[in-house]
Amino acid sequence: MARVTAAPAPVPIVVEGVSKAFGAVQALLDVHVRVGAGEFLGLIGPSGCGKTTLLKTIAGLVRADAGRVTVGGRTVAGPGRECSVVFQDFALLPWATAQRNVEFGLLLRGAPGAERAATARRVIAKVGLAGFEDAYPSQLSGGMQQRVGLARALAVNPQVLLLDEPFASIDEQTRRLFQDDLLRLWSEERKTVLLVTHSMEEAVYLADRVVVLSPRPGRVHAVLDVPLPRPRESSDVRATAEFAGLVDGLWKILRKLQ
Amino acid sequence: MTPPGSDLGRTGLTAVLGLLAAWEVLGRLDLSMFVPPVSEVAVAWWRLLGDGTLSRAAASSLVSLVKGFVPAAVLGVVVGLGMGRFRTVRYVLDGWVNALMSAPLSALVPILIALFGIRDTVVAATVFLFSFFVIVVNTLTGVRGTDRALVEMARVFGAGEAALFRRIYLPAALPAIMLGVRLGAVQAVKGMVVGEMLISLVGLGERLIYYGNTFLITELYAVIVSVLLLALLASQLAQAADRALVRWK
Repeated sequence: MARVTAAPAPVPIVVEGVSKAFGAVQALLDVHVRVGAGEFLGLIGPSGCGKTTLLKTIAGLVRADAGRVTVGGRTVAGPGRECSVVFQDFALLPWATAQRNVEFGLLLRGAPGAERAATARRVIAKVGLAGFEDAYPSQLSGGMQQRVGLARALAVNPQVLLLDEPFASIDEQTRRLFQDDLLRLWSEERKTVLLVTHSMEEAVYLADRVVVLSPRPGRVHAVLDVPLPRPRESSDVRATAEFAGLVDGLWKILRKLQ
Repeated sequence: MTPPGSDLGRTGLTAVLGLLAAWEVLGRLDLSMFVPPVSEVAVAWWRLLGDGTLSRAAASSLVSLVKGFVPAAVLGVVVGLGMGRFRTVRYVLDGWVNALMSAPLSALVPILIALFGIRDTVVAATVFLFSFFVIVVNTLTGVRGTDRALVEMARVFGAGEAALFRRIYLPAALPAIMLGVRLGAVQAVKGMVVGEMLISLVGLGERLIYYGNTFLITELYAVIVSVLLLALLASQLAQAADRALVRWK
């Protein structure tokens, strides 16, 4: 049963020698990544480098041709209870209200009705959408829709949060506020986070480390440490020389890959 | 649908009234016995309703309509879902569905008569055939058009095949299914009339044949008007069901 009480301890993700081909296209080749328990890892790379494929492999949606993924010691063979995913285009049920959408993961995992409703209400408030429980996705802005997507992912109280370009289709101002909220939520309940992004600033601002994938076949090209102090959300980290230096370092790595 | 008070509703009403007026004038000119004035048709309609002829025929027609359409809708949705979800089912049935959807199905009625005899069952079977395929194809299209991202999302949260069906594919396909049901309802009325005319035994279709053969043209028009009203009613009912089920659109 889905217990939605105390936050479970975060668990590490270990990707060992994962390869994946779609027909003749080699998406991933011998990828090794380790995400520590409670770590916030950014995953960046040119378009089509297999970032999303790697995320889906960890989520159990894509089966690797070779290699192994373990989440908290369990070898991934399909979607498991440890992971939750936030999708690029939100993947909200258009026929369901925000409340029902947030309840959806709990419903599929067999949580009883009263518990579902209460948990969803609490998480909706947490992501700043209190009062919008009965709105349908079509009545919400892109940023608000993704908040519903995040609430749905958090409602099942996962140990691992996988974010697949979550801010890609959201405008810049909304994105910045949302990023800060995400950091705040993450500092409240430490989860292991993997963020796939194509924004260098976003990767540096949010992550503890950034893994750079090379284009097809995708493999780990470089790993960049982000030693910026936390909490970053209430400070002017973006305005510091250190931040600019890190983004520039990331750009130098990526430029060579294009 | 437009509310009756709106400009569009008023325009539509004006168009219908204009058409009726033109019909009346044309009938009064007495150009042909096949164009009786609409007022006489209305009087005949009222008389046939009063003496029970129309209500008896319509009742028999409605029973056949329901007996044919309800199974067609249920089975059509089930087969459409199956074809949409399972490649093998789609490969096996696709050719049949496409062939029979475009075929003139009236050609099959003699076979139905041979199978069931000259009975009202033939009418129900014709109704079924006329409405079944369009419901199958619309359901199939709806299922195939389901957003892949929703399927992946549900799988992340542990949905198995049954949960995917119930929670994703069925609701995602519902607007297309309801469109199929609406088109199917109109087709069903066509099937009903065709079946009844071919067996010439019961229902409104039998009255059409009878009044046609006996040159009771005014009565014939009264029945035609009844069939039109029935088709309109079927379509409106299906539309109401659509609105009730697909509120989120």
